Amino acid sequence: MKGTYLGELEELVLLHVGILYPEAYGVAVMDEIEKQAGRSLNISAVHSVLTRLEEKGFLKSKMGDPTEERGGRRKRIFLLTASGKRALEEANELRTQLYSQIPKVALQFSY
Amino acid sequence: MKPPRWADRFLEWYCRPELLEEIQGDAHELFYRRIKKNERTASLYFVLNVFRFFRWKNIRKRKSKYKESNVTNAMIKNIVLVSIRNFIRQPGHSLLNVFGLSVGFSCAFLILLWVTHEFSFDTFHNDPGRIYKILTHVAANGSSQTYDVAGAAMDVSSVPEVESLVSVASGERWPFELCFRPEGKANECIYLNGVYANEQLFSVFNFPILHGDPNPLKNPAAIAISEKMAQNLFGSVSPLGKIIKIDDRREVTVVSVFKDVPENSSLKFDFALPFAILKKQWGVNDQQFGQNFFHMYVRVNAPIPAERLTEKLNDVRVITEAYKAEHISYQAYPMTDWHLKSKFEDGKYAGGRIEYVILFIIIGAMVVIMAIINFVNLSTARATLRAKEIGIRKVTGAIRRTIAAQFMGESFLFVLMAFVLSIITVQFARAPFNTLLGEPVTVGVFTGWVPLYLVGVLLGVAILAGIYPAWVMSSFQPVRILKNQLSAKSSGSQSFRKVLLVVQLSVSIGIIIFSGVLYQQLNYITHKNLGFDRSNMIRVEPTFQLLQKFEAFKNELYKNPAITSIGTAATNPLNTSGGNTGVSWPGKAPDVRISFKTIACSYEFPETMGLKLLEGHNFQPITGDSIRTEVLVTEEAVRIMGLEQPLGEEIKMGEATCVIIGVVNDFHTSSLHEARQPVILFRTSYEHTSAIYVKYQPGSTQSAMETLVNTYKSFEPSFTMKYWFQDETFDELYKTEIIASRLVLLFTAIALVIAIIGIVGLATFNALRKTKEIGIRMVFGASTGQVMGLLFREFSFVLMIAILVAGPMAWYAADHWLAGFAYHTDMPWWMFGITFLGVGGLITLVIWLQGMKTLSANPTQTLLSE
Repeated sequence: MKGTYLGELEELVLLHVGILYPEAYGVAVMDEIEKQAGRSLNISAVHSVLTRLEEKGFLKSKMGDPTEERGGRRKRIFLLTASGKRALEEANELRTQLYSQIPKVALQFSY
Repeated sequence: MKPPRWADRFLEWYCRPELLEEIQGDAHELFYRRIKKNERTASLYFVLNVFRFFRWKNIRKRKSKYKESNVTNAMIKNIVLVSIRNFIRQPGHSLLNVFGLSVGFSCAFLILLWVTHEFSFDTFHNDPGRIYKILTHVAANGSSQTYDVAGAAMDVSSVPEVESLVSVASGERWPFELCFRPEGKANECIYLNGVYANEQLFSVFNFPILHGDPNPLKNPAAIAISEKMAQNLFGSVSPLGKIIKIDDRREVTVVSVFKDVPENSSLKFDFALPFAILKKQWGVNDQQFGQNFFHMYVRVNAPIPAERLTEKLNDVRVITEAYKAEHISYQAYPMTDWHLKSKFEDGKYAGGRIEYVILFIIIGAMVVIMAIINFVNLSTARATLRAKEIGIRKVTGAIRRTIAAQFMGESFLFVLMAFVLSIITVQFARAPFNTLLGEPVTVGVFTGWVPLYLVGVLLGVAILAGIYPAWVMSSFQPVRILKNQLSAKSSGSQSFRKVLLVVQLSVSIGIIIFSGVLYQQLNYITHKNLGFDRSNMIRVEPTFQLLQKFEAFKNELYKNPAITSIGTAATNPLNTSGGNTGVSWPGKAPDVRISFKTIACSYEFPETMGLKLLEGHNFQPITGDSIRTEVLVTEEAVRIMGLEQPLGEEIKMGEATCVIIGVVNDFHTSSLHEARQPVILFRTSYEHTSAIYVKYQPGSTQSAMETLVNTYKSFEPSFTMKYWFQDETFDELYKTEIIASRLVLLFTAIALVIAIIGIVGLATFNALRKTKEIGIRMVFGASTGQVMGLLFREFSFVLMIAILVAGPMAWYAADHWLAGFAYHTDMPWWMFGITFLGVGGLITLVIWLQGMKTLSANPTQTLLSE
């Protein structure tokens, strides 16, 4: 259901919004993802993920200050909400828990 | 440097306002960053981003501001009620409107049916684009003649693309038109026309075989007959296996029955026989047979441009050295094009029926446009009368859009009524229309794509006719309406209405003039002296036996004094096809190629035709020269041969030696589209001719016919006489022109009716609008003449412009059309004058009648009505 499930790209974007606090906005998130995860996304894709996350309640936004490089337009700054933070924790937890269940022998790549 | 302005604007236009700032900001930020790296790609990148942002979520949702407005049932009911009341309150105006539109529609729909029919020719074959007809160009007299036949012996085995070759021999007379006897009635005769063809006829073309052998023509003694023919000959009994005697002697077996050939086929036949029969009929061997020219079609297995195919057909392996030497060349021509595009001049495509099709498409479109203009003019002119209604509606909360919708709806109602009326009219008019055309248009209102076209026209017209009145009426300012300050201006632009009227008048004038010229030319054709007499002459198709007993037959006929002259000939001088390039004369340069028309005839024939002997003597009953063939030549032939003393000169036609015994006047041997050709008449025996020409006294048609039929019956009791009047055959030559002139006459009448409706409507409105002005003028002592002048002024200007526009256009079109005839009448300038005067007079009359009505009203009454 909408609001509960966190997609892979959504998780990635959510994480980067956290990393960039308090300067997370579209272009910055896009750049950071390229730098950190090596994935090149286009701006409109990032945008749509951001708005979707906001609709799901994982993010909230406010308008920032105008800057000259944007022709005097303001940025929309995204911030993690409590449920966003929880969603990240849950995802993280699920992952570590699942990872720990993998038998050690399966990870021994001696050949 | 800035991002592309248009992309930025596009973004601003579509983007939701609450998202615009950040999206635009991001896009700009990326653009300026990119510029530092590469200026050229930055703009491209920006545009790309703008389009990437063009997503459903980001697009501004256009909600109507008035979505909440109350369109209630009561309101709709009221609107409908008011429309109906309006319709009933002014029945004259409403009916005029509907009538005008439906006349236009009916006319356009009939044309649509006809045009669809014309374009559907030969398209019913499987994959018709792969079938080519082979045309033959023959160079002579310094130019090239084109025929739609090709050498029968053609061998296409060297062209790998050709899948199969169909060869069809057809004609209008024996052995193609044959007398068949219905079963059990040996003395009755049904004449049916058929073809001789090779085996591929039924496999390449889509003439479905209903019963029997699917490949009938491989059997040398078989016949395939149509359903209609089976019905005629055998009734309801199965015809398969029955024996039919051709010419009462050659037996063939009916092996197949095929579906009747559709009307839109350029190949029409009731039976098909194999070539083996034709060889026997003609009594020729294979080698002689191969020298004939038949209709040839090829079907290709792979798409190949016509030019490439033409090239391959002119390869010496296909066309043969002999034909090349005779300056013959072939051309592959798409079969489906042939019906409409069959005119060739000097070997080049030069139009054909398509010209008439286009002409009528234009006329149909014009008539519809005129009807629409009428509708618009009448509706907007009436707008003032409905101003109060619009004012009240607006005051009580209607917005412009609902008013516009109301009037669009009303227009649509009118258009729909006219549409239904015209569909009914068309259904009834189809039969008379077919008679008028002289050919059955099988396409109906419900055939194939036609309903779709009709609905398309309906919607198009509804929109065109409704949009301007709706726009004008919905623009009324309620305050001014209710304060009674509505000026004439606000009922739509006066100049716009005048422009419409100019268009309408010019179209009417143009059509009238053009049809006048057309009639003038037809008149010229039918009265032009062809050089021989074609009136009071009957052409009879003889049987071979009758020709053998011709002397007795002739003497029997001469017993009736009404019959003045009888002769026979192998070619009808009205319509000789082909030409003979194998004529040589003393002093002929070896490289000169001249095509002569040659007519083989009995000795009486020149006299029967009424040819004037200019030099020498006519053919005598007993031939004067037993070795050489006697010939008569026309003046033109003498001139071309350059003979000083033509009498007694020896010329050669092919192998035959001929002697010129006389010179006759020039005469036309085909339609006046073509220039006159030199003619050689050569004497031959009755048995070698193919038609009897009987000339009788004017006014004694009945008596001559009776004698002819009775005499024929006594000589050939088991045959029905086939005959034609030469006058009718002559009319056949100009069938297209005659049909066209009938249609043009019809459309002229319609154009005139619509134009009158328009003028009446507008004149009424004008007089109505000026009622008060006229009242005041009259009170101050203006005379009737002065008031009339006032009413005329407006129209006279419009008429002047219309004449200036229509005159040159009609002249150009008429001139172009006349140029298609080698012999044509001079441009009838008086036609222009009469049309201008006529239209002017008509307008004057209408205005005068309307004006008198207004003038007869008491000015105190009109002025009191405030």
